[in-house]
Amino acid sequence: MNKTQLRAILTLIPLCCPTALAAGDGPEAAFGSEIVPFLNQHCMDCHSADAAEGEIVLEGVSRVTSDNVELWKRVWEQVALRQMPPRGTDDPPEPLARLKFADEITRQIESAMVDAGGFDRHHHPSKGNHIDHDLLFGPLPKDLSPTSTPARLYRVHPMEHLTRLSSLINQDPPYDPAKPGVRSQGDFINPNKEGEIKVYYGLDRVIGWVGGTAAYAASITGFPPALSLEDAHGLRSYPNLYTVNGAEATQIASTAEDILRFMAFGPDAEPYQFAASVKDIDKKYKHESLRGLAQSLFYGLEPKRPLTPVYDLTQIEQPGDEDLARAVRFLFTELTCRRPTEDETQRYTAILRTAMTDLGRDDGIVLGLTPIFLDRAALFRSELAQAGRPDSHGRVMLQDAELALAINAAFSYLRPGDDLLDAAANGKLRTRADVEREVDRILADDSIRKPRMLQFFREYFDYDRAGKICKDTAALQAAGGDTRTDQHYRAMWNMTASTDRLIELILAEDRDVLKELLTTNRIVSSQKEDAPYLGSYLSDKRPKKDPKAKRGPNRSVTIAPYNSPKGTAIHVRVARVVKPNKTNRVLTTVDESQRKGILTHPVWLVAHSDAMDNHAIHRGRWIRERLLGDAVPDVPITVDAMLPDEPNATLRHRMRVTKEEYCWKCHQKMDPLGLPFEMYNHAGLYRTTELKQPVITSGEIIDSGDPELDGPVKDALEMIDRLAASERVEQVFVRHAFRFWMGRNETIDDAPVLQDAWHAYRDSGGSMKALVRSLMLSDAWLYRRVDREALAGTR
Amino acid sequence: MLNRRNLLRGLATGMGATSILGAPHAFASRPNFSIKTGGAKRVIFFLQNQGFAPETCIPEGMTESGSLDGVTLPEPIQALDPYKDRMHIITGLHGRHTSPSHSAYFGALGGYRGGIGVAPGGATIDHVISGLLPETIMPHLRLGMDALENMISRPTLATLSASDAGKPLYMHSNPVNLYRLLFGGIATGDVKRRYEARSRVFDSIESLAGQGVDRLPAGERERYSSYVNGFRDINGLRERLHDVSDHLTNFAPEYDERFTQPEFETDWHDALLDIGIASLKAGLTSVLTIGSGRGEIFGSWKGLGITEQGHNLGHMKQPDNPIWVKIRQYNCDMLVRLMQALESMPEGDGTMMDNTLIVYTSNNADKQHTNGANWPFILLGNCSGAFRTGQYTRLTSSRPLNDLYATMLHAIGAPHDHFNVSRAQASQYRSVAGPIEELLA
Repeated sequence: MNKTQLRAILTLIPLCCPTALAAGDGPEAAFGSEIVPFLNQHCMDCHSADAAEGEIVLEGVSRVTSDNVELWKRVWEQVALRQMPPRGTDDPPEPLARLKFADEITRQIESAMVDAGGFDRHHHPSKGNHIDHDLLFGPLPKDLSPTSTPARLYRVHPMEHLTRLSSLINQDPPYDPAKPGVRSQGDFINPNKEGEIKVYYGLDRVIGWVGGTAAYAASITGFPPALSLEDAHGLRSYPNLYTVNGAEATQIASTAEDILRFMAFGPDAEPYQFAASVKDIDKKYKHESLRGLAQSLFYGLEPKRPLTPVYDLTQIEQPGDEDLARAVRFLFTELTCRRPTEDETQRYTAILRTAMTDLGRDDGIVLGLTPIFLDRAALFRSELAQAGRPDSHGRVMLQDAELALAINAAFSYLRPGDDLLDAAANGKLRTRADVEREVDRILADDSIRKPRMLQFFREYFDYDRAGKICKDTAALQAAGGDTRTDQHYRAMWNMTASTDRLIELILAEDRDVLKELLTTNRIVSSQKEDAPYLGSYLSDKRPKKDPKAKRGPNRSVTIAPYNSPKGTAIHVRVARVVKPNKTNRVLTTVDESQRKGILTHPVWLVAHSDAMDNHAIHRGRWIRERLLGDAVPDVPITVDAMLPDEPNATLRHRMRVTKEEYCWKCHQKMDPLGLPFEMYNHAGLYRTTELKQPVITSGEIIDSGDPELDGPVKDALEMIDRLAASERVEQVFVRHAFRFWMGRNETIDDAPVLQDAWHAYRDSGGSMKALVRSLMLSDAWLYRRVDREALAGTR
Repeated sequence: MLNRRNLLRGLATGMGATSILGAPHAFASRPNFSIKTGGAKRVIFFLQNQGFAPETCIPEGMTESGSLDGVTLPEPIQALDPYKDRMHIITGLHGRHTSPSHSAYFGALGGYRGGIGVAPGGATIDHVISGLLPETIMPHLRLGMDALENMISRPTLATLSASDAGKPLYMHSNPVNLYRLLFGGIATGDVKRRYEARSRVFDSIESLAGQGVDRLPAGERERYSSYVNGFRDINGLRERLHDVSDHLTNFAPEYDERFTQPEFETDWHDALLDIGIASLKAGLTSVLTIGSGRGEIFGSWKGLGITEQGHNLGHMKQPDNPIWVKIRQYNCDMLVRLMQALESMPEGDGTMMDNTLIVYTSNNADKQHTNGANWPFILLGNCSGAFRTGQYTRLTSSRPLNDLYATMLHAIGAPHDHFNVSRAQASQYRSVAGPIEELLA
């Protein structure tokens, strides 16, 4: 059968399936008009019943249904990512035709899966690169629609939620320009040395305790984030990914009661636990049997927590309605970041009054104020654009309170200052110029903390996952990790905080931000603790015990710790649990022959490793997605994606299996980009040998989309240098910033916004502030697409 | 969304479950079948993390299938010896396609690809069964046992069960919270007054949360509705529990210091099990899922005198390892407590245990870093005579664990050829249509 005959067969397919020829705009019609011609022209040579390349047969395939959806998902990804038709084909599809075809498939899958669990995968951040980079940054296609973002509810970020709750019970210091790295009000809440993120009650009032630090850690109580977040690499803050489930709501209610009790009454402790000094407390209360219990904590006499209108209620025997309303207004504003309406105030005041009647003043305060923690506005930020008239494209610009909260949320986790709330209340947040004024003001003011900026870089680089990578003890020690396994994880969490600080330092300089992050020779370090990880692996020879030392060496192989230059003092943000941790670190430099930028920091390397070894595939995938703007399709469910278990072979050798033709189509996008990082082992140590042989560090940039980038590289350092100098890499970085601040993947209509943002970044000498400012002044950020008629219909 | 009503409606009209369950590879069904879930039946899933080494469950000397009569069970599961006649040990099922490695997570009970950070690909077998059995107040109760600090800091966690693709179901890990939720309504005096005040406040919250839902765009409405529905579930459950409060009084576990002042994590593990047993005996639920280690790669059993904790436990070989002997023995003691409790409850002509199936396995096949080629199971009870017992079965055809789950559907009277296996996948997974005959009575 020849090609022409095959095309004829496929063209006849709709005749076998009468619905496929139905007139109108439905999926059936679109299948016939959009999908079948593309398949006829580009797919049938290889995927007919006779050819069946890769055992994929598209001849006779029906439109998308829930039964064949897996096949169509593969077709979508293969075409969108330019894997099919194969390169070098005679008649490749135009990029725009490819995009239309891929978009139509996802529309059809959405439609087919409406009653079968839904389909939203194409909106996931990991699918952001499924639109051809050259379409976005090349000449603008004709007939683009003015862009906007769908009206939506933004579930608050777990860290945002936790920061707000923390501000109710802790009085963090204001920003100190003399110590810019020290945690201040509104900053990110870091994990502790064990990787736990928690907010504690009365930490700053504790003056002593019975027992050691472990006993203290067991006796102090706190709460972790209540909301969930995808536990995965990559951007993860999209609003469409999250809601609040019943279990989370129950947990929030429970935590709310504890918080309210603490706000109202302070630490839950016996009178003997309060004293000016620990020595004033009777010895009988210091018995060791109390270790680890709440009764073993001793508190200073003066309250340290914020004394708020909730506390004020406890100071009045019979609080009046205005007293209750004051507490309601305060709590509502802190938790929702906006002032309550009069109706909302009355409603919550009535609930509070009833609870106090039921349970008495003290317990009534706790129960009666709990509902505010569960108000929709405390958990979901609204971007519904319900005020204002839609333009001819169905777009409405955000305004007033919604716009104030959107501007605030782009940077901050705490409620906006009164100036922004007043602007919203007084009709001064309705134009692009209004937004420009407020964004410029916030960007210029370091005292307004901007944890969202850091959050972006954590999600972009993924270095914050280093402490979460569970290491096999023997494999870790063989790589030069600490023989005390717990110390390894502590080192990772500590180095994560150090990398946070380096990023903030580079952001403060705001010059060539991406290039600097990729190539800087600077590092923030706890010199003694980090030295082994910044050092080199030498051999598997067990080091000798120093006869003068009390204990044996804490490494079971021979390494050369890095002796970093003296450097200058710098502060970092570290979690406080037992006592104020030392915030001092050193800003120093790495050995430039061994390391360069964040991709060579131990935290990035470990974050992209696994329990036993390096993860060259993850590392390569990171380069492919975050720097080259390409992606790899989901692994087909039929693939057993395991490397052979050969403990005495190098990872490079074990990865030979990925070169089989079926695997290599995808793995060529990742493996040659990840293998240059074999110059480090899976604990992040630099190495020149592997299994006693010289380590092979070569790799290659293949089919990057920029011919200047393509070609072999001798190691990771050469590859990083080449990538950091690339305009394309800069543009891909801008695409990721777009996704983070828009909370969605880009579309073809966003091309002008992306190009403007890239120019803003480039023209400003690589300023992150200029980039974010450009994004926030764009239509994509300001406008929401609404469908008033559809909403009216549902009511 | 999957719920009992639309699931039953779909099945009864012969539509098959594929479209109703909404999973991308939802279980395909026979063209003609009827629902015969019959009277009271219950299924308990107990999954220990870090793998279940076959050597620790196959009786010594048994290399082929055969009767358990007269054999000696391995030390780790010896507590089950008095129940050999009600027991079926199964090896030879595979779960390669679930990518277990450290844990298959939702894939263990879903029979699809799982892994850390991988969203559920469809409904899991425990949830599907809970929708098919006669309705109870809380059709599916899930308990998660972990290190004490983890149960405190993360009292709910979803890693094993799912109601649909992308819809994980949470386990309860804080027994204090769970006790208040289930048995708070039967308290008296001051506790009762507080319970009622709380009920009023939560009713207000539900009412406030539900305002304006119809003004949301369609997609947002669905996402936000799950928040509102969460309150509906909480409040609705409270009302239903209130309606049966007299009945519950007979079953509520003793609320003692294990709940309020746990010394070790095992105090909370035991307290959670007590709540699970009480819920089964009271008829609150008919499907109980217990995740020991909560489907993850950590876990702690200091209360058993085991000082090692976390992931290192997974990197130890299990056979002849005193640590794993203790953990497995602790599991088996729990299984015995479950069986004894159910045997003590009359039901029909026998006891509750007669209508029960307990499924013991791991969320991670046989060991850490496994490819899932051999996934051992122990079944206890015969679920109203459906399962063959007193038997060790070494399956040699390498069928997937999905086929065991399809067999369970058959046993509860809702037969399906496959569970979460499409026609295209069937040959690849070596899935055979219909139940595993060797397992049925």
